[in-house]
Amino acid sequence: MSDITIVGMLMDNLPSIIGIIIGGICIAVGVHFVPVGGAPAAMAQATGIGTGTVQLAAGSGLTGLLAAGYMYMTLSAAGTPGITEIVLICATGAVGAMIMITVTMLVGNWVYIYGVGVPPASAKRDYDPITGDPQAPYVAPGTVGQGIPTVCFVSGAIGGLLGGLGGSLIYCMLMWVNGDPAISSIFAIGVFLVNAVLPSYNIQGTIEGFHDPKFKRLPKAILACFIASLLCGIIAVTIPSVAMLTGGS
Amino acid sequence: MDPAMGMGLVALMGAAATVAGCSEDLESDIGSQSNPNSQVQLAAQVGYPHRIFNKAISGEPPSNAMYCAVGAGVAMVLMSESVMSASPLIAIAIGAFVAALLNGVFSTTSYLGRNASQTRFNQYVYLDVLRNQILSIMGHAYIATFCIVLISYVMWNQNLIGHPFPFPVIALIWGLCVGAIGSSTGDVHYGAEREFQDFKFGSGLNAADSGNITRFAEAGVRSSMDNAWFCSKFGGPATGIAFGMVVFLDNWRSTAFTEVLNGWGAVIAGLLIVLLLVVYNRKIETYARKKYGPFPEYAGDIEA
Repeated sequence: MSDITIVGMLMDNLPSIIGIIIGGICIAVGVHFVPVGGAPAAMAQATGIGTGTVQLAAGSGLTGLLAAGYMYMTLSAAGTPGITEIVLICATGAVGAMIMITVTMLVGNWVYIYGVGVPPASAKRDYDPITGDPQAPYVAPGTVGQGIPTVCFVSGAIGGLLGGLGGSLIYCMLMWVNGDPAISSIFAIGVFLVNAVLPSYNIQGTIEGFHDPKFKRLPKAILACFIASLLCGIIAVTIPSVAMLTGGS
Repeated sequence: MDPAMGMGLVALMGAAATVAGCSEDLESDIGSQSNPNSQVQLAAQVGYPHRIFNKAISGEPPSNAMYCAVGAGVAMVLMSESVMSASPLIAIAIGAFVAALLNGVFSTTSYLGRNASQTRFNQYVYLDVLRNQILSIMGHAYIATFCIVLISYVMWNQNLIGHPFPFPVIALIWGLCVGAIGSSTGDVHYGAEREFQDFKFGSGLNAADSGNITRFAEAGVRSSMDNAWFCSKFGGPATGIAFGMVVFLDNWRSTAFTEVLNGWGAVIAGLLIVLLLVVYNRKIETYARKKYGPFPEYAGDIEA
């Protein structure tokens, strides 16, 4: 196979590569919005959800991917989905992820409030940027906050939206290229994880959401995820085409 | 599909998910997996040796994703006509059993490895702890895997919902989801409350007290079974409700509103659900602030 064929293949699938890059960047931005407190939050020593960044982002984004996959199948009954249909598929995936993450945050707050007996409070701001409630007096001594106050809850919902949107967009782009839900879903999970892991180096375990000072590191993550998604996109559009050219299935 | 049949399936999936979520959380509580493990691990190092099961195989989402994908993979092979065309229920049961065996292998090696490496801190390998807890861990893992593989089968089967993703991939995604939820909700009850019951309720956990876990139970030395008993009163069911709500609400809006406004009905219904949850969260936040009030130790100048 000549180099010209590969270049031609990449040029043919340029819209898909661009879509994968946009999806990857959405995931990277979404991860920064999700309020995760890691292990300290599981001991009510830090504000946010008591689990890891990647795990929660992947849990919500991939739940959205399931909804998006089903919607893609329903819409593709009338032919290959165009831009209008893809907007609807991505919206479905985004809302699916939002439902997962908001339910998790709500039940997490049940446990903090009724099970552990502490009010949700952020230690990064003196006042909640959305409700204006004072935060510092409600932070347990010796900790950096606990639970999920309103600002973190809203930020988490936005994070779920972006994660679900990005995952669904990547899936749609892969379906455009190879048309096989099995390959597309597995590759979409892979690309999702790449773009969820890279920003977690920015987050270093805990972030409260868009009001956290660490959120300002976002541009670096966008650059890193742009490069990573570009590589993923090139591989994604090449593999099925190579298989077709060499007579594979 | 008939709408009544669709709603019935959604209800069945929601119920199975509730059981799966509860069981998954209790499995991780008995084994001290996920984030609360950091305290169990730290306890011996800061001078508090204990008899709590210690298995940090990995984060809960990847480990549950693996068990569920293995269970679904085995079930799929058994169901295929070229192997033995097993009935789905038998195939799913065998698949979940294989996943539980895998869990047992990981739990055993994890417990032995971790505790053997802590001998210098007087934290020994207790074979009776291993014998007594391991079957309980595997049993809970079996229930969780069985329910999730069942949900995935209902979604994947072409005569039921007919999802385009492969059976093991659907199970993997739901396994990842239940692990993320269990780790974020039920584990907090274990990590922040049960592990630190010696401290006053609602006092918060000062970072300086990390590792000082409660080692003596209502009667005798505390074991992981006591922890499961306590967490099954709130943390476990809360996780079950969370996962059940995710599966039910997500599938309900997709099933009931897909035909409305060319598919946008499902999106709007989902957004309304999210909005309601935000409002409800605000309600319980203000309730907690009023009920508990500011911490008396606070010495700053911001008024509560």
